[in-house]
Amino acid sequence: MVVGKIISIFDISIEVILSDNSVEIGNILVVQGEDGYAFEVVSINNISATCISLNSTRGLKKGSPVVKLSKGIEFEYSDKILGRVFDSYGVPIDGREIDSVRKRNINNSTVNLKDVDVTSSILWTGIKVIDFFAPLQKGFRMGLLGGAGVGKTVLIKELIHNVYSSINANAIFVGAGERSREGKELYEDMKSSNLLDKMAMVFGAMGDNPVSRSKSVYAGLTMAEYLRDEKNQDVLLFIDNIYRFMQAKSEIATELKQLLIENGYPPDMANEISKVEERISSTEKGSITSFQAIYIPADDYNDEAVQTITSYMDGQIVLDRKVAELGLYPAIDVFKSTSKLVDVEKIGERHFKLIEEVLRYLTRYKELEEIIAILGIEELSEEDKRIFYRSRKLRYYFSQPMFVAEPFTNIPGQFVKIEDVLLDVENLLNGVYDSVDESKFLFIGKYHE
Amino acid sequence: MDDILTSNLNDTIDSIKNNDNVYNTGKVIKVNDYNIEVIGLNDVAFYEEINIAEKASGYVFGIYPDRVIVALVKINEEIKPGDMVYALKKEFKCLFSLDSIGKVIDIFGNDLLAAKKFDNLIEINVENKNVPLMDRGLVKREILTGITGIDLIYPIGKGQRQLIIGDKKTGKTQICLDTIVNQKDKNVLCIYVAIGKTKKEVKDIYYELTKRGAASYTIIIASFHDELPTRTYLTPYVALSIAESFMLQTYDVLVCLDDLKKHADIYRQISLASKKTPGRDAYPSDIFYTHSRLLEKGCQHKNGGSITILPVVETKGGDITDYISTNIISICDGQIVLSTKNFSKGEKPAIDYGLSVSRLGGNVQDEMMKKVGSKVRIELLSYLDVRQIYELANMDEMSEDLQRRLKEGRKILDNLKQYKFSPRSKNEMISSYDFLIKKDK
Repeated sequence: MVVGKIISIFDISIEVILSDNSVEIGNILVVQGEDGYAFEVVSINNISATCISLNSTRGLKKGSPVVKLSKGIEFEYSDKILGRVFDSYGVPIDGREIDSVRKRNINNSTVNLKDVDVTSSILWTGIKVIDFFAPLQKGFRMGLLGGAGVGKTVLIKELIHNVYSSINANAIFVGAGERSREGKELYEDMKSSNLLDKMAMVFGAMGDNPVSRSKSVYAGLTMAEYLRDEKNQDVLLFIDNIYRFMQAKSEIATELKQLLIENGYPPDMANEISKVEERISSTEKGSITSFQAIYIPADDYNDEAVQTITSYMDGQIVLDRKVAELGLYPAIDVFKSTSKLVDVEKIGERHFKLIEEVLRYLTRYKELEEIIAILGIEELSEEDKRIFYRSRKLRYYFSQPMFVAEPFTNIPGQFVKIEDVLLDVENLLNGVYDSVDESKFLFIGKYHE
Repeated sequence: MDDILTSNLNDTIDSIKNNDNVYNTGKVIKVNDYNIEVIGLNDVAFYEEINIAEKASGYVFGIYPDRVIVALVKINEEIKPGDMVYALKKEFKCLFSLDSIGKVIDIFGNDLLAAKKFDNLIEINVENKNVPLMDRGLVKREILTGITGIDLIYPIGKGQRQLIIGDKKTGKTQICLDTIVNQKDKNVLCIYVAIGKTKKEVKDIYYELTKRGAASYTIIIASFHDELPTRTYLTPYVALSIAESFMLQTYDVLVCLDDLKKHADIYRQISLASKKTPGRDAYPSDIFYTHSRLLEKGCQHKNGGSITILPVVETKGGDITDYISTNIISICDGQIVLSTKNFSKGEKPAIDYGLSVSRLGGNVQDEMMKKVGSKVRIELLSYLDVRQIYELANMDEMSEDLQRRLKEGRKILDNLKQYKFSPRSKNEMISSYDFLIKKDK
């Protein structure tokens, strides 16, 4: 039934004059007799509805009659999602049809405070620098922050490799606003290593319109919730990249002519983020452990969106351009990377003390670097020289050959156990390796025999 | 040209026979610089082509209940309020001719050096739909620039988007030109897109390429700052539509976009003029999407064709962390960073090896290049780090090991120096690092 006609079009923002009062927010309207256009209603007054277009509006005519679909955006809510790749609106894009069993709206869902579960076991990733500085627990929300081109996606892929393939959980991958090329590579990787059957992917790539980019996150959440609530599973959720979700929301807010806060973000940013992050919770039925890449625009760590997102994280790994510049990957800023697990009661005194000591060394190293730049290395005291050389070895030691980076580095990847890391670090700090050349610590797994 | 005219004419005659309204008409009510407001045009479509009598043409940029905003792409004569406006009932498209190879062209089918329109024109979409994920292949074939610092250390693959970024006068355009010249006899179609370059610069580039025999496989698409901003804004999109039409016929295409900072500024100008709320640095919120959907056209198609894109971004004061630079870095598959300091030290090409990245790396190299390349990269970066610390130290008092490392590092760096238009073959690159590899054995 025709519910109205289009009176205004400005990129993705559409105004429909209504002839029917059944239209509600969240409804999907399509153009009568024409394929390819669909709009989601975002606000209504007594004569018209403002909508955002799910696709491009090129060629859309003023005056076109629109009809209302019976449901909002729905996503497959059954085992049929496993092994499949979808776009943000639930259409499979891997070239195969889907026999739908059951669908669910992607928007509406929350977890009650009484159901939230916070106790869980530690999850080791095999990546030295993460396990040492920012260890995580099942059910954690881990943020991987970094500016452009410092290695967020490689780290996400390494985590998929190490965690997903070793703990045998189900996994959901959300490609929000990232490269299609990487999406295709991930799909091929998973397929060729027979890991696809326990995984589902959804993509709203960076070439797609902002509505598609933002909806991909809700779609991913819906699939993760299915596995947690209906299958009682521990789920891994990888989101690359959650910042792009907020960025897409900003674009939509601009198109809708909303008043924006600093740097062009929408005023309801905190709500939008909260609605997403609160859905990523563990309950007694199952857990969702999420790894979320967070892009830092203009290398501005204090960006409003970045800060809002990180306030929901249980731990964060921060990647630093200055470390990447030295060719040390993963290029982690050890001073900013931490997690809620870094607590004497949770990881034990030995590990905790070692973190403190390493940070003390590296802080002094930073100061010494400045002194050396002026005075030269010969002028340092014996104590400082010791700290200087040991810190350089530590810095090298925390680089690691990664499985997924083998094609770049030509060095086979390594999974390192936390006991080995603790022992190596202890030995380094105690001077056991003082006579070993620093280059021996670059791109290795464990050092001790 | 004739074909289009005839078919357009036939369509129109058919419409008249059917008693349809041939044109949807309206009237100009307000004239701004390069967009106008129109009343009438009752069932116009978004992005429909619009003519303003004989005076100007453009496309529908926005539709309001009571008026339509038309963005102009060509103005022949001043427009006045009250002028008649015709909607052509078809999507706005640009023109292209297959005779463009070896020529300098614009997006309306003009041969700019001959100052006339081409004869056999085809219509080309401003933007096509994205290539679906599953139609994409993996990027694994190299495209050689002939520059050691790139081919060996930060290689570029067919279908890759590799940013070239640096201050003024650091040799950004030169890397594009070197790469284009090095594609001779390699079956790669090259498209050089000049965005906001001066006319002098474009002519120089044309002569450089012609002189070196690159004209037979290169198209130069130019837009200048003294033209309408809408035109400059559309140029890279149209260039990639052209590239796409070749890729779909299984060609390998290389597109240089020189440069996207100017493109971002032009888009900011257009957005602010249309009263879009500004965001960071006064750019509109969709500035990322403006470039992401453009650069996503770069791909390896499963049919064997590919589009490789080398976008260029100009920075100020060597700062690659500003808004536009980081946006584009985050879209691309890697970046070649050029530094003024290296340039003035005579280390040309002035690549900053610490800040440059290729996200595909060894994936696109053959075994030998990969082996030598990764070794050279690790040694070089560790040398650059060590050099900084021992800058003030006395060389004679150092351990032999360290002295050797510093000497070797110097040699690695010296080997990377290369003048413009003096490409090296893969064998030359590999053999120049024999001293590093032999040591390992």
